[in-house]
Amino acid sequence: MGKVIVITSGKGGVGKTTSTANLGTALAMISKKVVIIDADVGLRNLDVVMGLESRVVYTSMDVIEKRCELEKALVKDRRVEDLFLLAASQRNRKDDIKPEQMLDICERLKEIYDFVLVDSPAGIEQGFHNAAAGAEEAIIITTPDVSAIRDADRIIGLLQNQDIEPINLILNRLSPTLVKKGNMISKNDVLDILNIDLLGIVPEDPGVIASTNRGVPLVHNDGSPGADAYMRIARRMIGQRVPIPEMRDDNFFSNILKWFSRNK
Amino acid sequence: MNFKNIFTRKAKTSNIATQRLKLILTQDRFDVSDDSMQKLQVELTEVLAKYFEFTMNSVKMSLKRDGNSYVLMADFPFKQLKKSS
Repeated sequence: MGKVIVITSGKGGVGKTTSTANLGTALAMISKKVVIIDADVGLRNLDVVMGLESRVVYTSMDVIEKRCELEKALVKDRRVEDLFLLAASQRNRKDDIKPEQMLDICERLKEIYDFVLVDSPAGIEQGFHNAAAGAEEAIIITTPDVSAIRDADRIIGLLQNQDIEPINLILNRLSPTLVKKGNMISKNDVLDILNIDLLGIVPEDPGVIASTNRGVPLVHNDGSPGADAYMRIARRMIGQRVPIPEMRDDNFFSNILKWFSRNK
Repeated sequence: MNFKNIFTRKAKTSNIATQRLKLILTQDRFDVSDDSMQKLQVELTEVLAKYFEFTMNSVKMSLKRDGNSYVLMADFPFKQLKKSS
């Protein structure tokens, strides 16, 4: 029996879809059977980030309205074994799906798959409630800024009311340089404010934009800081003890050192 | 204030953000207005001032999440106990 985990944030643009794509891919790369569900009906994007947009034939709406079997609606990933996408309908609205219907889909998928990751839409309305309906656990994505943290706090409150437990945090787009300068809220301050467990830190990585441009999740790009961070998080998700490294500051000297080691 | 700040004489914006967030979340979580938290702080201080000597602007109050409930955290650093008259 697998786990259903909702990936959510409240605020938009903090990296829910990127994180879902990368964690799904990373988990499949370490031999887990994974389905990622796009719950952002009307504004779907997980297919594009995964590079699977041309393969989407059916959506969760087709499953709910019985136009197609659940198994048939799953899009198989191009690169990794045992990774599937259930796309959202682009023509429907978020309240066309009911929480019970989403719960049913999740219940059926977790019979077969180890991980069912649900990419939640931004906001606290119906779309969020649908995304959380089938979840027993949650991953909150936040960036270290005032508005994202405020919205994350609101979402944590809502999830706790639904008895979703554990709720873990991924701190996304952290810049060690800015933290050191005192111009970015630090990891410890974020944890102190939100008071939930930290699942991992993903540093700011320009590679994310390039990987979205190509439709190839970052974790395929072995060695990039973001890819390494997502791989470590995936390993923690399967229960391995992988320490969260302290983020190094990319200062002048470390850049010089890097330059030398690259040119050896 | 740490040693470095004395030289740079600039408040770190991360500290400003953290302090602002704590205040915002206190209001969000309890759905209380800034006014009523202020009022509570003033009233609590008045009661405690009968027994302790404070530096008034060092008082800090915030709400912290603890699982499903919240904890009201209040720091009242005092100089000394007042001698009972």
